Amino acid sequence: MTAAIVVKDLRKRYKDREAVRGVSFEVAQGEIFGIVGPNGAGKTTTLEMMEGLRRRDGGSVQVLGMDPAREPYRVRERIGVQFQMTAIQEKMRVDEALALFASFYRRRGDVAKLIAMLGLQPYLGQSFKNLSGGWQQRVSLALAAVHDPEIIFLDEPSTGLDPAARRELWEMIRGLREQGKTIVLTTHYMEEAEQLCDRVAMFREGEVALLDQPKRLVARMAGWDYIDFVSDDASLADIERLPCVQRAVETDGCIRVHGDDVQQVALAVLVLADSRGWRIRNLRFAAGTLDDLFVLLAGGEASGEARREGSAAKGEGSVAMGEGSGVV
Amino acid sequence: MRSFVNLARSEVRLFFRERQAVFWTFLYPMLMIWLFGVIFGKQKLGGVSYAGMYVPSWIGVSVLTIALYTIGTTLTAYRERGILKRYQATPVRPWTVLGAHVVYGVLVLVLTAAVMIAEGRLLFGLTMPKSVGGVLFATLLSVFALFPFGLLLASLAKNVRSAAALSALVLNIMLLFSGATFPLAIFPAFLRSLAHWLPLYYVIDLLRTAWNQKGFAGSWSDVWVLLAIGVVSIALASRTFRWQDA
Ligand SMILES: Nc1ncnc2c1ncn2[C@@H]1O[C@H](COP(=O)(O)OP(=O)(O)O)[C@@H](O)[C@H]1O
Ligand SMILES: [Mg+2]
Repeated sequence: MTAAIVVKDLRKRYKDREAVRGVSFEVAQGEIFGIVGPNGAGKTTTLEMMEGLRRRDGGSVQVLGMDPAREPYRVRERIGVQFQMTAIQEKMRVDEALALFASFYRRRGDVAKLIAMLGLQPYLGQSFKNLSGGWQQRVSLALAAVHDPEIIFLDEPSTGLDPAARRELWEMIRGLREQGKTIVLTTHYMEEAEQLCDRVAMFREGEVALLDQPKRLVARMAGWDYIDFVSDDASLADIERLPCVQRAVETDGCIRVHGDDVQQVALAVLVLADSRGWRIRNLRFAAGTLDDLFVLLAGGEASGEARREGSAAKGEGSVAMGEGSGVV
Repeated sequence: MRSFVNLARSEVRLFFRERQAVFWTFLYPMLMIWLFGVIFGKQKLGGVSYAGMYVPSWIGVSVLTIALYTIGTTLTAYRERGILKRYQATPVRPWTVLGAHVVYGVLVLVLTAAVMIAEGRLLFGLTMPKSVGGVLFATLLSVFALFPFGLLLASLAKNVRSAAALSALVLNIMLLFSGATFPLAIFPAFLRSLAHWLPLYYVIDLLRTAWNQKGFAGSWSDVWVLLAIGVVSIALASRTFRWQDA
């Protein structure tokens, strides 16, 4: 693959805390690359160091072969940026904003085509503040793409959008990729990462915890089926003692039990419940999703350790968190 | 160059969409000239007609209000709303953005001045300056001193509200005590010496001289003080001015 972006051991420290702690990854040309992670994981900081908007404290960044800290203007000529908070003057009209931003660049994009693709035609005469959140987001996407950039950076583009608007946004991002653009986006919606991204880097506390194709990340979770049910009187400790059970957790009265053979697990749990007289409701089978992986990661070391211990004790290899993920 | 022209044009366009801003910028000085004209209109002040004193003086005040609000407070708002950061993510140079704002401010100033001069001629028999070049020079020098001064104040403010409050404070002190409104002669000595600490005092003195005399005789010190205010403000503002919050 030809790398559009190469990030090596990137670091950023704010006064009292290290926000980015040795992040490395590459983004291929034409790829949709996702950075996911909970709030405060360092996504925005990483993005803005790639855009040359924040000074880094260590490591290196190459964007289209250039260092954005050294040649910010040459880099900005060829990248498009959308911030988490859309920001243009409230009373500026959409067509005026497009013309203004287009005039900032030497390179000229096909603005008419962009307007058609984003469906902005009916809104060109509207001022920015009169648009709904979804349309404001489209305008800011248009501003990021107005000069036909090679790379587009999107910081949480779908935050605050309703599900329908979010799906439309995905279509537009795919459309931009079809024009050969490289897309780097951050999100905290796992579904978005799964649907949209070719590869996903999962950030946790300023580090890359996992990096892979979403379907391979999901596959890691595939062996990780579980049952869950609601019960007021079941004993977690007793369930964990069952030989076929790897691990049991309780959240808000919902008990989730993991094991390699979930059918066996279900049977064993039901038999146990019957003998102890527990009441079990809403029993269902479920498969691990990217969301589970995210929750696991966001939960940090504690849950990761517990899982590893759990599987080690039973001598079963399933998902080993935080290992073997590495950088591609 | 294309981005410079477009930015300036865009600012002017946005300005005229702000009804309140337009009202205050144009109507307020006109009202004040009229009001003070009702009070002092028939008097000769230091051998000069009312209009000859007050129209140049209000041109000076306009330079200050534009510096404080049209430039300073607006840029603080742009910083707070992330608009400056959005520009930063493009190839536009910081000096292009600032330069465009200066040009836009000068344009608003020219329009305000034209309106006030017209009013002075129609209502108060304003005579045109002996040396138009002298007035232009004095005005440009005032812009050179006060626009960076406004930017400096704005860069010291945490947010738009404190920028606006700071601007209001500075504007009111200068309006009262720099001789722009009430003649300094009516104040006690210690208030008169306060005037010498206010940049607007030098702007007003120079503009009045330029309008009513040939040459700056007796006012060259104003020129040097204003040059110094401009240079110092630019030096300080280029250190304190931020493009994004924190
Ligand atoms: N300008 C800043 N000054 C100080 N701390 C900051 C600044 N920006 C971000 N941080 C801190 O750095 C961490 C990472 O922030 P950020 O990159 O915005 O994360 P994310 O985008 O993943 O939510 C957070 O703990 C945040 O509070
Ligand atoms: Mg963020």
